[in-house]
Amino acid sequence: MSSGWLRAMLMGLGLAAAAAWLAGCASPPPDDDAEAKAEFEQINDPLEPTNRAIFTFNDGLDTYFLRPAAQGYRAVVPPFGRDRVLDFLDNLKMPIYFANDLLQGNLSLATDTMERFLLNSTFGVGGLMDVAEPMGIPGHKSDFGQTFGVWGIGEGPYLVLPLYGPSNPRDAIGTGIESYGDPLDYYLNNNYLKWVAWTRMGATALSQREAYLDLLDDVKRTSLDYYSAMRSLYRQRRKAQINQAKVGEAASPDLDKQTAQRK
Amino acid sequence: MLRRSFLQASACLIVTAAGTAGLPHAAAAAEDAQAFIQGLAQRAIDTVADKRLGETERDEQFRRLFVSSFDIPEIARFVLARYWRAATPEQQQEFLKLFEDITVLTWARRFKDYNGENLQTLGATKDGERGWVVDSQIMRNQGPPIPVQWRLRQGDNSPLRIVDIVVEGVSMAITHRSDYAAAMQANGGQIDSLLAAMRNKIEQLKAAG
Repeated sequence: MSSGWLRAMLMGLGLAAAAAWLAGCASPPPDDDAEAKAEFEQINDPLEPTNRAIFTFNDGLDTYFLRPAAQGYRAVVPPFGRDRVLDFLDNLKMPIYFANDLLQGNLSLATDTMERFLLNSTFGVGGLMDVAEPMGIPGHKSDFGQTFGVWGIGEGPYLVLPLYGPSNPRDAIGTGIESYGDPLDYYLNNNYLKWVAWTRMGATALSQREAYLDLLDDVKRTSLDYYSAMRSLYRQRRKAQINQAKVGEAASPDLDKQTAQRK
Repeated sequence: MLRRSFLQASACLIVTAAGTAGLPHAAAAAEDAQAFIQGLAQRAIDTVADKRLGETERDEQFRRLFVSSFDIPEIARFVLARYWRAATPEQQQEFLKLFEDITVLTWARRFKDYNGENLQTLGATKDGERGWVVDSQIMRNQGPPIPVQWRLRQGDNSPLRIVDIVVEGVSMAITHRSDYAAAMQANGGQIDSLLAAMRNKIEQLKAAG
């Protein structure tokens, strides 16, 4: 199985989803109900019926495959080991963070990223140990969707992507650029090392899911409507990340490490 | 020796008193807001850590602590938004009661996962006429601290109480509002159906322990 084949399949899924989205629009409330109309616009989810269907599909996959796998991973690998995996995978993404720091005009964050990459790749044994943080250079993430937001591009309507989850047109394009623009993946895919790129993708999914186990369990347990709680969380979080990047603060100081419960 | 430390203590007291008297009223209130959050965190942690308490006693203590610290009527009105005005007084009362149950059960469950974390308050800033925002961070055994903001309001005749908690830019009140509005619509915009869904959720939360 080549990654080109899977990409084509994902794109096909995306196109099918786009068609379904257009077909399954939520009807806006009548003009005379001003409050309901304001609420509809504020929720900004005109494709809700289709989004919900994809959300249910994703949640099913998560419930039966990804979440149990993440629980198994947590049970088997101690916190120290999981932190090494998070650090290693995070270090591989530094080129993406660096590019976005620059595109956002955050020179000091770009310098941080560069220093972190050099320190962690060498003294941190190929990125396994985050030695830069105790030295006073904490980590942060930056992505293309966030960069577009900093440039003033609006999020557009809420979207739930198959497999990928909560998004919007702006962030989905950002994710697409990242999947093609990652220099390491590019190298691997062109040097008969696709399996390494696949392993990286799988490890990232597992490690991220483990980090969010407690948070997502809590949201699912306490919300009346899991879908809208997630929609609200995603929107607010992205907005906060973009606002922080606008003022040049580290946008999300390693959220996965923060939310991960260390047991 | 004794005399000297007495003198020192008196001097300290006088200096402190002078300092407090000299400061504008707002500064003292900022400290109140900060102390309120610090005290709440300490009491919550003490309740979890108290091994002598039985399960029911602990739940009772939690309930008292949360009901006295959160402005549940204010949060409930914000969460229900335009549906609040459409509700009858009986429905409003029922909603308040159920919302309180959900809040208490949610927090009691969260504290079951307590793993030695501590709350450190960093400062308070004025937020409107009677409000404060207290900045804090949750310090953990491992990993970087989690930034948390507490929004507090003071009523006419009531002490400071929490109206919102913002964790990394995500507001709990806004998330609840969006969640409850969706549940409302899923139930045909009927308050009674929403109340039934809330009762259902309370049973689930109780069953899950």
